[in-house]
Amino acid sequence: MSGSLIAIYARRVKVFLLWSLFIIIILLSFRVSNVDIKTLVEGFPYAVFLIGEMFPPDFSRWEKILLLSIETIAMGFWGTILGMIISFPLGFLSAKNTSGGILYYISKGLASFLRSIPEIVYALVLVISFGFGAHVGVLALSLSTIGLLSKFYAEAIESIDKNPVEAIQATGSHGLGVIRHAVLPQVFPLFMAYNLYQLDRNIRYATVLGLVGAGGLGVELFTQMRSFDYQQAAAVIIVIFAIITIIDRVSARLRKDIIDGKFMNKENKYKDSLLMLIVSVIAILSLYFMPVDFKQMAYGIPRTWEFLKGMFPPDFSGIAVYLKLMLETVAMGISGTFLAVAISIPIGMLSARNVIHAPLVYNIMKEITNFLRAMPELMLALIFVVAVGLGPFAGVLAIALSSVGFLGKFYAEAIENVDPKPIEAVEATGARFTQRILHAVFPQVIPLFNSYNLFLLDKSIREATVMGIVGAGGIGFNLVMSMRAFDYQETATLILIILSTIMLVDWLSSYLRKKVV
Amino acid sequence: MVKIENIKKRFSGRDVLDGADMLVRKGEAVALIGPSGSGKTTLIRAINGFVVPDSGKVIVGDKEINYKNKESLRQTRKKIGMIYQLFNLVERASALENVMAGALGRLDNGVNLISSTIGLFHKKERDNAMELLKFVGIEDKAFERVDRLSGGQKQRVAVARALMQDPELLLADEPIANLDPKTSRKILDLLLRINMEKGITMICVLHHLDTVTDNFNRVVALKNGSICFDGETHNLTHNHIHDIYEFEEENVEETRCLAA
Ligand SMILES: Nc1ncnc2c1ncn2[C@@H]1O[C@H](COP(=O)(O)OP(=O)(O)OP(=O)(O)O)[C@@H](O)[C@H]1O
Ligand SMILES: [Mg+2]
Repeated sequence: MSGSLIAIYARRVKVFLLWSLFIIIILLSFRVSNVDIKTLVEGFPYAVFLIGEMFPPDFSRWEKILLLSIETIAMGFWGTILGMIISFPLGFLSAKNTSGGILYYISKGLASFLRSIPEIVYALVLVISFGFGAHVGVLALSLSTIGLLSKFYAEAIESIDKNPVEAIQATGSHGLGVIRHAVLPQVFPLFMAYNLYQLDRNIRYATVLGLVGAGGLGVELFTQMRSFDYQQAAAVIIVIFAIITIIDRVSARLRKDIIDGKFMNKENKYKDSLLMLIVSVIAILSLYFMPVDFKQMAYGIPRTWEFLKGMFPPDFSGIAVYLKLMLETVAMGISGTFLAVAISIPIGMLSARNVIHAPLVYNIMKEITNFLRAMPELMLALIFVVAVGLGPFAGVLAIALSSVGFLGKFYAEAIENVDPKPIEAVEATGARFTQRILHAVFPQVIPLFNSYNLFLLDKSIREATVMGIVGAGGIGFNLVMSMRAFDYQETATLILIILSTIMLVDWLSSYLRKKVV
Repeated sequence: MVKIENIKKRFSGRDVLDGADMLVRKGEAVALIGPSGSGKTTLIRAINGFVVPDSGKVIVGDKEINYKNKESLRQTRKKIGMIYQLFNLVERASALENVMAGALGRLDNGVNLISSTIGLFHKKERDNAMELLKFVGIEDKAFERVDRLSGGQKQRVAVARALMQDPELLLADEPIANLDPKTSRKILDLLLRINMEKGITMICVLHHLDTVTDNFNRVVALKNGSICFDGETHNLTHNHIHDIYEFEEENVEETRCLAA
């Protein structure tokens, strides 16, 4: 009897301690990353002023913008295609059931290494040896594509149904026949969907790689913001937004049809042909406009080697400062995610069809999250730096807003997928709206929310590492500076710190996710 | 057609097959019964080489199966069609594509090998596959993706795939255990018809005793890895059933229905 009472108290104490720890972490993060309501309030009129300055957007440099847009899309395409080609064998090599031994561990390790480094860091490094231009963007995007796609491919291959494989073996087929007719048909639609997803993602990142001189629209945006020409900057932002939104919609449509197995069937034939036609036309156009400088590429390889040699041995003399900066970076990620969660809960609820019965409200809310999701974090950071000044707070705001784009959507989908029966039951008791949410919706979605939050936390900390590139706080600033100063030994240390933090956070969040869900 | 001599197989320290013998003549249809875990699936899979016996031999046609030689194992499999309880189809491919995959073993040399591997089948094979889909009664679903078919339709596709091999022997492991009674009846009729009309030898694992006694002349019962009954169905007495399934004496009649 008293034993169980003690257990209950112990549980309460544990819960209390966990919550206190959580609050302390959040408060500390706010502190470290300069989250400051006063700055925000003071910055607000300035932000409004800034938005005012942007109108009307000035499209007078439309030719330049058009060319850069094509370049951006081309970078996304070629990054994806190159990455795809290498990921195909790497995926099979890093899948448990089609690989083995040391080869499996090497391939898996390589993929996870490649995906731990943010795209823009690749671009920063590669620009040093390959010179400025879109070819660096393509290389940077392919490297991170390999890391991500080969993981997705491997997961698809590992999840295949073994039964049909045995059945085709039982017909006396040759090994290749088994792969072609029992394995590929199972994984191919998934591969296609992942490729489209990756294309979408790559074009999104391609828009900001120009910030470090790796080609695309980013350079134009950066130049206009730097010269305080907000009307021209607004034009670029609008174009970036339009490109990302269109690609996002096209790719989501195609993905859905492919996964549902409705791709190119009777009812979707015309729609899918049209979408595929658009994709192919863009692909061909981008091939034509792709300004790859082969001479630069050829020179780049020995120079990369020089650069890599210059990194050894890494210089650990500044480690104390760097670790503090890394702490600031992690704090930025935590603060940004926490703010995003706080904002996303109402937004998610308002954009869920089954909670709000007014189409106008949920559609507007959905468009807001779409808009925020389409904005690359670094671009938001660039804008916030102008509004609230240099420093981590600008980064936190950028991370928070773009996370709202994701979380708001995820939350809404989770809420839309809840079991309607308990809601109805609570509604039937004459409960108010808030009571309905509290007693019927929340209990169903909290575990899912937590898993999304952890996913976003992981993503945010990764983003925080590069915010410094535009002066929005964190370790990224020192990374850029060390490169500008040709201090590659320091660069090596910084990259090592970033890499190990990202891997640690990745591990921690997947560990927590298992506990939460 | 199939001769099994004293085969033994141990899995994690347990004799799953413990010296089973069996002889199936050409054109025969044999029902294989036995309690769960008695080794029916293991026995069936030893015939097409997915289980390698520890000792004893299996002869299919006039050749002993050589489990060590991959190529000769493949040659044996070409002649044996297999039907599964869970259909084992490629869900994301169409019915027709699934059926055509049944020809992969046959098309194993020269141009045929290359073209079938990359998925280009001769028109003759395509027509053949369509013909078989018609035979099993779902030619209208040929271009439908398998994951949109019902269980009965899926099993028909699987039967057509097995026939596509042009097999001499058909193995079926609980082919109707996952289907409703009416669909079960139809699939079983289809299998019996294949045995009668095409003269394809058939070994069929079943659980429903009435189905066995009503449709098969010969029944083989496995218990603890050895054959405990082998003979004409009408000789299968209550005592045998009691013995096979270890029922209580008084309830044989009731449990006979329950076992169904
Ligand atoms: N690959 C394997 N590894 C280990 N044990 C196995 C393997 N295959 C079968 N067994 C074991 O062998 C025993 C007999 O299995 P089998 O599948 O042949 O039985 P069955 O008669 O088909 O039963 P059921 O009617 O349930 O399908 C079971 O105890 C099973 O756990
Ligand atoms: Mg079985």
